[in-house]
Amino acid sequence: MTEFGLRLAISLTQIAAVMGIVVITVLILTLAERKVLGWMQDRMGPMEVGPYGILQPFADAIKLFFKEDIIPAGANKFLFTTAPILCLIPAFIGFAVIPWGPNQTFEVGGITVRPFIISDINIGILYILAFASLGAYGIILGGWASNSKYSLLGGLRSAAQIISYELNVGLSIVGILILAGSLSLVKITDAQAGGFWHWYLFALPAPQIFAFVIYVISAVAETNRVPFDLPEAESELVAGFFTEYSGLRFAFFFLAEYANMVLVSCVAAALFLGGWNAPYPGTILALLGAPSLAWIENTMWFAVKTYSLLFLFFWLRATLPRLRYDQLMRFGWKVLLPIALGNIVVTSIAVFIYQQMK
Amino acid sequence: MESTTSTKRPSLSEWFKTITFYEILVGMKATLSHLLNYRPVTLQYPHEKRTLPDNYRGMLALLRYDDGTEKCVGCDLCEAACPSRVIRVVSAEVPGEPTKRYSKEYYMDMTRCLFCGMCVDACPVDALGMTREFEWAVYDKRQLHLNKQQLLAIGDRSFPTREKRLELQHPNVAFFNVAFKHVPQKSD
Repeated sequence: MTEFGLRLAISLTQIAAVMGIVVITVLILTLAERKVLGWMQDRMGPMEVGPYGILQPFADAIKLFFKEDIIPAGANKFLFTTAPILCLIPAFIGFAVIPWGPNQTFEVGGITVRPFIISDINIGILYILAFASLGAYGIILGGWASNSKYSLLGGLRSAAQIISYELNVGLSIVGILILAGSLSLVKITDAQAGGFWHWYLFALPAPQIFAFVIYVISAVAETNRVPFDLPEAESELVAGFFTEYSGLRFAFFFLAEYANMVLVSCVAAALFLGGWNAPYPGTILALLGAPSLAWIENTMWFAVKTYSLLFLFFWLRATLPRLRYDQLMRFGWKVLLPIALGNIVVTSIAVFIYQQMK
Repeated sequence: MESTTSTKRPSLSEWFKTITFYEILVGMKATLSHLLNYRPVTLQYPHEKRTLPDNYRGMLALLRYDDGTEKCVGCDLCEAACPSRVIRVVSAEVPGEPTKRYSKEYYMDMTRCLFCGMCVDACPVDALGMTREFEWAVYDKRQLHLNKQQLLAIGDRSFPTREKRLELQHPNVAFFNVAFKHVPQKSD
């Protein structure tokens, strides 16, 4: 019983730590996005709250927290209340299987703890994809329950878009799964150790460059970001599926969107960019004689990769205009899907020949 | 294979540009160059203000001569010139001096003013001026209905150097800043 309690305490600590890191990252992202967008457009971004506007996320959070919570007339109250939660939970729950750092262990009271891996499910990547798809329910239910034409149209668009691009995300990952022979993110990351030429983006026998490009494009589309932000196209649909939401419920949708961005970036880093592995063999700290501190370097590399991908999101937003709806669908089904399928075929053949030659 | 005129077969370089997202990369290079050469055009307005041009047409004001007497002679020409009916003048004789007039009451409804400056042009004695004040946002729009005292106060704070009153221009006589040679000189 004490062992169970200890395990529970350790797990809850890990969960709290990861949730805290994700929420802090979202806070940083909301500021970073506005700042980066501003700099790219010769503006300054928020400058008023705190020095250079660095306290802006807290001001936003306080404002959202104290805003009036409006439920529109004719809205389905139950679904209207549930939808933001349905959107938020899938966005956060995916972080459970992300390996944040090396596979090292330490003992606490006779229990082996792996501090950087909350749970190593052997179907980790399927679990993330499944929960990411569930997020679409929150969006479409929120859009329907608001009793507003803009919300409904936004929700429908979002559902169609997420279903279309989920497929491409799934198919672009298949090549990695063939190469790694596992669905566990921990195993996939471990298999990429030893320098950037072992990352699946560049690894022989089948570099997954096309798959990476498809994954990034589909991830942008799946998180409803510019240039695929049709569900919340402000010039057409006011704000899309969260038009009628205000206060804390709106904050939930907002948080879910940014948490989804962090999640897809983490998955891309873990699958294609070697996760927490440094782009050179081993770690510098281990060479300097501190192998017990190597996890700092490894987690830093994971953060660098994730934040670079998040920067790419902002960069794309500053550069590209929004797609038309038919362009979006045609691009997803007629361009990305065939390339993803072709990538699977080529990867399978390459892996087969590689194994025959060995 | 028959090629129609509308669909031209893309050349090899066009294919290459398409699959490498060449155009998107060009756009992203543009945004990145703006990020790296960060020169914001923003003016942090309440903290720093731009220098206004000399002929800036801001808040209207009534002026005085250097001895403190009002310039306005109550001729109503500004009221006639105003296209938006901002100005209302109640003209009256100076008590005890039947030939001299002044504006007993002078109102400006600044909610309607479009800052065209026609009243300033129309004024024969240069009694109206346009200041460089523009921060006149108020919570109650009745505060923009200004009377003579308020307009004189604006003029006092915006034009500290006043015009010297010539002897010809008695404050309350409409000689209009011009020496009318055919008119007999005043003798007082």
